[in-house]
Amino acid sequence: MTRMVEFTDTEFMIAQGARLLEDGRTFFVGWGIPQVVAILAQKLYVPNVIQLFEFGAIGPQSVLPFVRGTMGGPQNTYRSLQWLNMNWAFAYSAAGYMDYGMLGALQVDPYGNINSTFLGGTYRMPKRRFAGSGGGNQVASQCWKTIIVIRHEGRRFVPKVDFLTSPGYLTGPGAREKAGLPAGTGPYRVVTSKGLFGFDDETKQMTLLAVLRGLDPGEVVRDMAFRPLISKDIAEISPPTEEELHLLREEIDPSRFLIRGEQMSAPA
Amino acid sequence: MRILKEGEIEYRFEHPDDFRRFVRDKRSRKPEPKLRPAKEAVSAFVSDGDYLVYDFSSLTRGPQSLIREVIRQRRKDLWIGAEFTLHESALLTGAGCATRIDVGFLGYGSYIGQAVCEGKVRVYDWTNGGLALRLLAGARGVPFLPTRDLLGSDNMAVSAAKVIEDPYTGLPLAAVPALNPDVAFLHVHQADIYGDARIFGTNLFALEAAMASHRVIVSAEEIVEPEEFRKDPMRTTIPYFLVDAVVHAPFGAYPGAMPARYEIDLPHIDILNGIRNEEQMQKYLHDNIYSVADHEEFLDRRVGSAKMKELRGRATIIEGYR
Repeated sequence: MTRMVEFTDTEFMIAQGARLLEDGRTFFVGWGIPQVVAILAQKLYVPNVIQLFEFGAIGPQSVLPFVRGTMGGPQNTYRSLQWLNMNWAFAYSAAGYMDYGMLGALQVDPYGNINSTFLGGTYRMPKRRFAGSGGGNQVASQCWKTIIVIRHEGRRFVPKVDFLTSPGYLTGPGAREKAGLPAGTGPYRVVTSKGLFGFDDETKQMTLLAVLRGLDPGEVVRDMAFRPLISKDIAEISPPTEEELHLLREEIDPSRFLIRGEQMSAPA
Repeated sequence: MRILKEGEIEYRFEHPDDFRRFVRDKRSRKPEPKLRPAKEAVSAFVSDGDYLVYDFSSLTRGPQSLIREVIRQRRKDLWIGAEFTLHESALLTGAGCATRIDVGFLGYGSYIGQAVCEGKVRVYDWTNGGLALRLLAGARGVPFLPTRDLLGSDNMAVSAAKVIEDPYTGLPLAAVPALNPDVAFLHVHQADIYGDARIFGTNLFALEAAMASHRVIVSAEEIVEPEEFRKDPMRTTIPYFLVDAVVHAPFGAYPGAMPARYEIDLPHIDILNGIRNEEQMQKYLHDNIYSVADHEEFLDRRVGSAKMKELRGRATIIEGYR
């Protein structure tokens, strides 16, 4: 009988995100889950990744455990190459030095446009208001490849976002460049709690590339409020490994503040 | 220069020549002792209707004792500008002090989100990069600075950023207007009595905010001798002639952390995160701000020496900080 692995949806997204990064590259780290992705990736897969935080930490090394509520404190600026400030941090992305950026999202549309500002109603009278851009707009505008991390709930994948906080491919091919955004940039992957999406070279539309082992691709896209493209060869994503889970649960986030979530299981 | 797109949104703006004249005529260059109690400094330099900017957040090195003093003095109709307006924006809104907020990252706890939905406070989304650039423009004496973000996003429509035609490439370019706040708050590790100040670690826009603002209040964990700055000028964050008042405020960032000095008080942060309605907000304000005379009494009666000792003891990473 196949052994099943138990994990949370958050743990799966973090593990997937960590596997996507390349060693020796630069990585602009957003607030929340991307912080934990950066720590896991640096510890397990990409020791020479250069993390960068908008609050001016250039190339910090990760301190364990992750302490919630730290922002620009000693824990996430530890052993940096350089300590600066926000204008200089965004200079690194604006001038083309940042290979990857990673952001969370409330909603995402077929072109990878991100909403993190409000849901429902209007901008002045929203039904629910959230944090907004922070530095997300700069990350999505300026990094070469942006990775979006979003829980796989159908209502989060919408034909049109309620508010376009951070740009994906806007309205399609060439739209970013036409708007004046730096050429050759844009969303690269969307990591969800069920699968992995990329963007079609020609149409710039979200395309399902892979699903968690044991899941049916048709099932994965069924409840999404827009229909993504589906790659001809859907790859299989292995669930979080023992090593990833051990590091996450015992060393990075023993208080389970960030890694908690909905329970899932998949064949090991 | 051609304007390709612009929103009609209210924003704080001052002609660079007006700000330069203010700097020439109203900002003293004399090394005068400026050490004052927070009560006096806030009373002298923060007025109803002011635009207030501050560095960092309620989690890290935020000027929390000065913000509590503003609330205690019940200032009205403030316009707040900050990258991470976390618990401060909720408290200032709940206390009836703030009516407009430029962000940034608006958050923590459901109170502030509800306040926006109910129209208690107006929010303008400039993004973190946009606000930092506005202060840089204010500090550089130019009316605006261009940038290649914001473009194509809805933040463009709900801030007063404009899309202009770049005179060099002909491409669309975003422009954000300079920001010259009425007053800036900076909480620092060390200051002298004249206002020279040092921040250890990273900052968001400390120097930009100090140079761009009409008045600057520095609160400091520690007051040091002026000659310390002359001996180690690389470590000066803010020179004294940008500063109007110095407040000695140990634990001034509490309940947030002061890097390498004390750690964040998470149970207290959880109380702030848990504020969901008006009753809880008013109770918090009463217990922690209105019912104590000043920061010293707050530390003495509400925080206590055992807690402060514990938080100091948890600040174990000191490498890189001096």
